[in-house]
Amino acid sequence: MDPINPIKLTIDGKEVATTKGKTVIEAAADIGIDIPHYCYHPKLSIAGNCRMCLVEIEKMPKLQIACNTQATEGMSVLTQSPKVLAIRKAVMEFLLVNHPLDCPICDQAGECWLQDYYMQHDRQASRFEERKEHDRKREVFGPNVVFDGERCIKCTRCVRFFQEITRTNELSVVNRGDHSTIAMFPDAVLDNPLSVNVVDICPVGALTDRDFRFKVRVWYLQKTPSICPGCSTGCNVSVETYQNRIARFKPRINEAVNSHWLCDEGRYCFHDLTGGERLTTPMIRQEGGLVPTTWDKALGAVLRGLRGATPLAGVLSGRSTNEEAFLFAKLMRKISPDSALEVFYQERELTEVEKILMSPDRSPNFRGAREMGVSSNGGFETLMGKIFEGQFSGAYIVGEDLLAMDNDQERIRQALQNLSFLVIQDTRMTDTARLAHVVLPSTYFGEKEGTYTNRNGRVQKLNAATIAPEGALQDSEIFIRLLDLAGDRVAYSTAAEIFHALAHEVPAYHGLDYATIGAQGAQLGGGAGQS
Amino acid sequence: MALEFSPETHKKFEATVSRYPKKEAALLPVLCLAQQEFGHLGQEAIEYVARLMDQPPARVRGVVSFYTMLNTKPIGRHHIQVCRTLSCALRGAEQLTGFLKKTLGIEVGQTTADGRFTLSEVECLASCGTAPMMQINDDYYENLTDEKVTEILASLK
Amino acid sequence: MEKVLLRNIYVPGSHTLAVYRSHQGYQSWVKVIKNLRPEQLIEEIKASGLRGRGGAGFPTGMKWGFVPKDSPKPKYIVCNADESEPGTFKDRLLIERDPHAIIEGTLIAAYAIQSHTAFIYIRGELAFGAGVLERAVDEAIRAGYIGKNIMESGYDLDLIVHRGAGAYICGEETALLSSLEGGRGWPKLKPPFPATHGLFGCPTVVNNVETLAALPWIIEHGAAAYAAMGTEKSKGTKLFSVSGHIRYPGVYEVEMGYPLMKFLQEDCGGVPNGRKLKGVIPGGGSMPVLRPDELEKVNLDYESVQAAGSLLGSGGVIVMDDTTCMVRAAWNLARFFAHESCGQCSPCREGCHWMEKIFHRIEQGEGDEDDLDLILNVSGNIMGNTICPFGDAAAMPAAAFIKKYREEFEAHIAQKRCTVRME
Repeated sequence: MDPINPIKLTIDGKEVATTKGKTVIEAAADIGIDIPHYCYHPKLSIAGNCRMCLVEIEKMPKLQIACNTQATEGMSVLTQSPKVLAIRKAVMEFLLVNHPLDCPICDQAGECWLQDYYMQHDRQASRFEERKEHDRKREVFGPNVVFDGERCIKCTRCVRFFQEITRTNELSVVNRGDHSTIAMFPDAVLDNPLSVNVVDICPVGALTDRDFRFKVRVWYLQKTPSICPGCSTGCNVSVETYQNRIARFKPRINEAVNSHWLCDEGRYCFHDLTGGERLTTPMIRQEGGLVPTTWDKALGAVLRGLRGATPLAGVLSGRSTNEEAFLFAKLMRKISPDSALEVFYQERELTEVEKILMSPDRSPNFRGAREMGVSSNGGFETLMGKIFEGQFSGAYIVGEDLLAMDNDQERIRQALQNLSFLVIQDTRMTDTARLAHVVLPSTYFGEKEGTYTNRNGRVQKLNAATIAPEGALQDSEIFIRLLDLAGDRVAYSTAAEIFHALAHEVPAYHGLDYATIGAQGAQLGGGAGQS
Repeated sequence: MALEFSPETHKKFEATVSRYPKKEAALLPVLCLAQQEFGHLGQEAIEYVARLMDQPPARVRGVVSFYTMLNTKPIGRHHIQVCRTLSCALRGAEQLTGFLKKTLGIEVGQTTADGRFTLSEVECLASCGTAPMMQINDDYYENLTDEKVTEILASLK
Repeated sequence: MEKVLLRNIYVPGSHTLAVYRSHQGYQSWVKVIKNLRPEQLIEEIKASGLRGRGGAGFPTGMKWGFVPKDSPKPKYIVCNADESEPGTFKDRLLIERDPHAIIEGTLIAAYAIQSHTAFIYIRGELAFGAGVLERAVDEAIRAGYIGKNIMESGYDLDLIVHRGAGAYICGEETALLSSLEGGRGWPKLKPPFPATHGLFGCPTVVNNVETLAALPWIIEHGAAAYAAMGTEKSKGTKLFSVSGHIRYPGVYEVEMGYPLMKFLQEDCGGVPNGRKLKGVIPGGGSMPVLRPDELEKVNLDYESVQAAGSLLGSGGVIVMDDTTCMVRAAWNLARFFAHESCGQCSPCREGCHWMEKIFHRIEQGEGDEDDLDLILNVSGNIMGNTICPFGDAAAMPAAAFIKKYREEFEAHIAQKRCTVRME
């Protein structure tokens, strides 16, 4: 709040302290009064076309839209007066005049603002008995977004998003009157890197996610706050699951990181990271190939193998948490003090639109991992170079399928096959895992509790949204057991306890704990941080 | 062959744009120029104008679709637009439209097979005192009777 | 009565500079630019009592006064020649026969707000009129009334004739500005108002053709002379476009306060063919219709028409005789508004078409008794709740027709057909 221009107004009899320049809808939101609205969005320009936020303001003869009315000193606003309640019903009735009875087949059901506001503010039968106007249904706008013109309430949030946020201008309003509709230019495709955000901000089922289409009713979803594992921006997400599988990501609002947005790539990254058959038992190489074994035998073999195969290289997934990285570094240096450790990190070029949100990597916790000690010198590319040169005899690779890297496949295969001992810890039998001497089944990001530190130094909390299959262990649990076998029994086991320990040992993380990190994260160095 | 202005029209385009304090304000006059040049504003024409005006094609299309006088489909050589709003309706606009439909053998919104006439109904043309009336391309024809209409149609090739 | 607006139109060649100049043309402009400061000019027009003639009737001098004088942004004056209100054709007459009066008025208004770029936004359908205006502007430029350092005054002014492309809503001033900016004719949210944030976000005044055309006379004869005509709140003269079932349709210049019935019966020749008067819309298709019994005391001025429950608006007088089916008339206007709604805001976008559909159904003989109160209620939900006055313009006539001719509507519904006949 800006102390320079404070003003006081009254909303529904409650005194509200706010600042000059704020609108009534903003001032109301600040004290927890949610004035119903469709076209208003805090990150987009004011459109004022839905009329749902009409409120009564003392001394003004007509109702005023709260989204475009400046709060003034001494203003008295009523959001629940009989006139306001009546106009909300009227606006709802207008919006439903041409709205199709699609609820039974519409993905938006359960999180639809027409449904929600109807239940909260209307509940009256529509008196419209004429023939409804028809429009295009199921029109594919792009690979991820499908449009239904009949469900659309012309709030223009989508049009404004592409004008103001991505500045790609794919959508426009065409025609006039009740033939108004939203359209792509013919033959154009909606495929900019942030396109699916309009599905999030569309209050109704006019814009829906093709990936999520018809998969599950939203009221069955369990929602877990976490962090996107796509890149080191660390967008805050809600991981939404059904029957222990991730159904979709939705963005969580964090003004310090991603505001209200998610990129398409991150939004769908869980598919590649979680699909396929899971490893549910440790494997060990014997004559003829990899065979299942017990954890005791596998971990014993790992320790013996690595000890006998120095010098060692250790590659940690960019998606490993700080807690895991902390333990991995401890473990590898216990086994061999001059292990060369790096977190997976590859850079790429980003387009202008991608740069709005994305970071040029696919390693969400590269910074945190390095700060935990998974860093020798030179970085990941240098380490790979040394592996190619055959400088190591043994390697422990966690959570990355190196053979899936775009280039150098044959070279990588040769280098890995030349190692005398290779341990792979992953969730699936990847091509890299097939070359291992020991394979350890572990977990993916959605099954972990822990923290990531994003590119800008913001420490943010992941929470487990799904349960790992029987037979797989958390990476941290594997490292703790190995440390124990190696002679370094640690006193902690839960994620919180591990974090407590790392916060103690890593100076930059002093004073942090899960409480201070909370749901919005905490900035290293105490600053406000920025996305 | 890509659609573009003739050199003469391009000069008109440049002259038009230069009149306005901001280039974007010239969009409507430029669209009218394009419609004159190309006959109607189809997808290609809109893309071309969008390029000329440095604007997103979707936006230009949104503008075109808003205005009654901008045609996205080809029409006949002579666009007959009969006013149907109240003052004209009180003075026989409906009968006039009926007469035209019968004479031309088409419904409202259609074009004669030889491409000569398109028949439309439009709203108030600010000619209420000389009702019933119609506009054909740029010209107003007022105080109409069946006889006058027959004469007018015959004179339009 | 002294003719202010129609003084030139019957002079052959009235649209040419030569003829215009021979009738005092541009002398007011010279007087303004040489002798008056903008503040004096604004005061003079305030004193004249001139009110906007497009429909809203807002005091012109006051409107000019809202423009911030010390704003660093360029200021714009726009002549609204988008005449599209049903029953209105007065601006077209001035455009075609007295374009220089409009131009001179625009220049004077520009000077009042210190604008250096003026626009005349003329509806696209008036192709002939646009040509007349453009040629007149060329003449004025060549004569040195428009351009740089006009008559050595140091004042620059450019005037651009801009043609619309077919949209009634572009007569609403903020929609006109959206269109002039090169966009869809979508009205803008107010506040902020055009006086501070208009064209391209700069201070702008939009004035109607008739309003501007009155300025040369007012400057020539003085505010007091103008204010001496008319009534206390409606000064001067106004053009009335008379159409429909009337013997002598056309544009008339009338001193404000003149009795409406006398005007129709005497000056306009009354209802022809021996028929009886059934209804009059006094101010263009957006205004409530008045029954004959309501017209007795109505004078042609803002306050009198308002007292009778309608509005003077654009002065488009539509006369309906007893062959008129009021159901069909109401539907005709409802169809007009449904076609012209810009579609931006929900009550108008959905409500106008809803009302049109109900009227149509009633007219076709498929109405039921609840329909009338439904229309009244829907119209009430639109009024006052939209982005711009278009919603009110659509709602008022719909409600008025039902209120004033309820019995006819009920009979039409009950008998499933028209109980009158409309030509």
